[in-house]
Amino acid sequence: MFASLTKYHQAFLVGLQSNLVYRMNFAVRGFFSLFHLAVVFILWGAAFAHSPSIGGFNFGQTLTYFLVMLVMQFFVGAFNEDYQISEEIRNGLINQFLLKPINYFLYRFSIFLAARLVTGVLVLLPLLVAIPLLKDYLTLPHEWWRLALGVPAMALSALIQFSIAYCFGMLTFWFLEIQGFVILSMAVESLLGGQMFPLDLMPGWIFRTAQFLPFYYQTYFPTAIFTGRIDFSTAVQGFGLQLGWVIVLLAINQLLWVRGLRRHTAVGG
Amino acid sequence: MMHYLKIWLASARYSVVRTLMFRFDFFLWAMVELFWMSVNLLMISVIYQHTDSVAGWSKYEMLLLVGTSLLVQRFLMGFFWSSLFEMGRNIRSGHFDFFLAQPGNILFMASTRKLDPDGLMNSFVAMGVVAYSAHRLGLHPGALDLVLYACMIFCGLIIHYSMLVLTISLAFWLTSAQGIEGSYFTLSEFSRLPREAFKGLASVLFVWLLPVVVVSNAPARVLLHGFQPAWVLALLAATVVWFTTAVFVFNRGARRYASASS
Repeated sequence: MFASLTKYHQAFLVGLQSNLVYRMNFAVRGFFSLFHLAVVFILWGAAFAHSPSIGGFNFGQTLTYFLVMLVMQFFVGAFNEDYQISEEIRNGLINQFLLKPINYFLYRFSIFLAARLVTGVLVLLPLLVAIPLLKDYLTLPHEWWRLALGVPAMALSALIQFSIAYCFGMLTFWFLEIQGFVILSMAVESLLGGQMFPLDLMPGWIFRTAQFLPFYYQTYFPTAIFTGRIDFSTAVQGFGLQLGWVIVLLAINQLLWVRGLRRHTAVGG
Repeated sequence: MMHYLKIWLASARYSVVRTLMFRFDFFLWAMVELFWMSVNLLMISVIYQHTDSVAGWSKYEMLLLVGTSLLVQRFLMGFFWSSLFEMGRNIRSGHFDFFLAQPGNILFMASTRKLDPDGLMNSFVAMGVVAYSAHRLGLHPGALDLVLYACMIFCGLIIHYSMLVLTISLAFWLTSAQGIEGSYFTLSEFSRLPREAFKGLASVLFVWLLPVVVVSNAPARVLLHGFQPAWVLALLAATVVWFTTAVFVFNRGARRYASASS
């Protein structure tokens, strides 16, 4: 058991090193996320100037939502894992994993965790700039259960994010180029994951439908728990659904891997 | 000039033939762009479900602004994005040598190699959004206003092109900064906001220093309020300054290029 964990621990350390090589990329991305926050501040500030409450929340609460959403994206969001998996399949690099006693999903997930550790730390840079500027607006609820439920929800969100990226990576077994699928999925995720606007501002029936989709649990769900946009009973109910989606997505991952390998042709030596 | 037109037409022909070969890709990418446009329009729609005005702009005025911004961006995606995106990769991989050996201006050759018909297709959707918004606002722009609008969209395209060239030229200095092209999209978000929403430092930075607001607000105002000399001059000045800067930075970067191939 522990010996098995050691190899994924090593994969984690390798992932940490290779992600630190690209620290500049993540830092640039973090820096540009400040511009995104500026867009949010300007657009929503102008909207709230005309209506003091939108969807039952004030400007400070909405701004807090977008700031927590940004942190969430850096801590649990999949960045380019789908492309990395796709490249490994296309270039035949997965062949080595077929011959070794290592689970490819767990190997990639260990690297994903390492990458999120690096991006999670680097998001502190834009936060150090943003928080002093926005501190008068930020407002977080103080109920203890939000932390107790929000942190595990965040962990499950990371698993959902990675599983969806893994699924798209697996599509390489069937399609030569997956970029179109990935960017289409990014649009769906940014909309139904609540990155464009808080989902509860959408018409009721769309919001209720979104709650049954996995995208809702990618970033919106933990963000809504932390920022007070959902109450305790909705959060507990949502946690159950989130757990359900994790199981479904893990099953789909396994299915795609098994089916994909049947189509895979390992060429070269 | 005719020489460059012939080269561009040859590239366009090649791109169209390539698109006809990969019809599923064309359909998929057209859907991708259409969906992203819809996401932006949906966001405006959701905000206006809860408020009547954003910085003094009504829902359809805002849609006209967003449509104009999307139109410029679709043209950029259609005419230049693929070539410029590949340019960043080629600089890092050393394949940029190929363009240095071609008989023509390096920037022209590198940025016009590929066209994306899917991006150009969606420009009609963006035009539809502008036309629909104008109709809902009861606007009846004259022929001169429309010509001026088209000229300003062209200026906007040059400004967006220059911003993208500047961003990608960073690859000459920061070879490890992959994906830096994406930062262009962050800056382009500002072009969907009305000028009146910018106050204080944001106004200085995004209205006066960076051309991100003027690029969409200037043409949108031609349709909304007719010819406004101050906005037209601001757009022309921004076009000249940013295009000159982009060419200068690109040429300085190209001088640093040392190739990576063996």
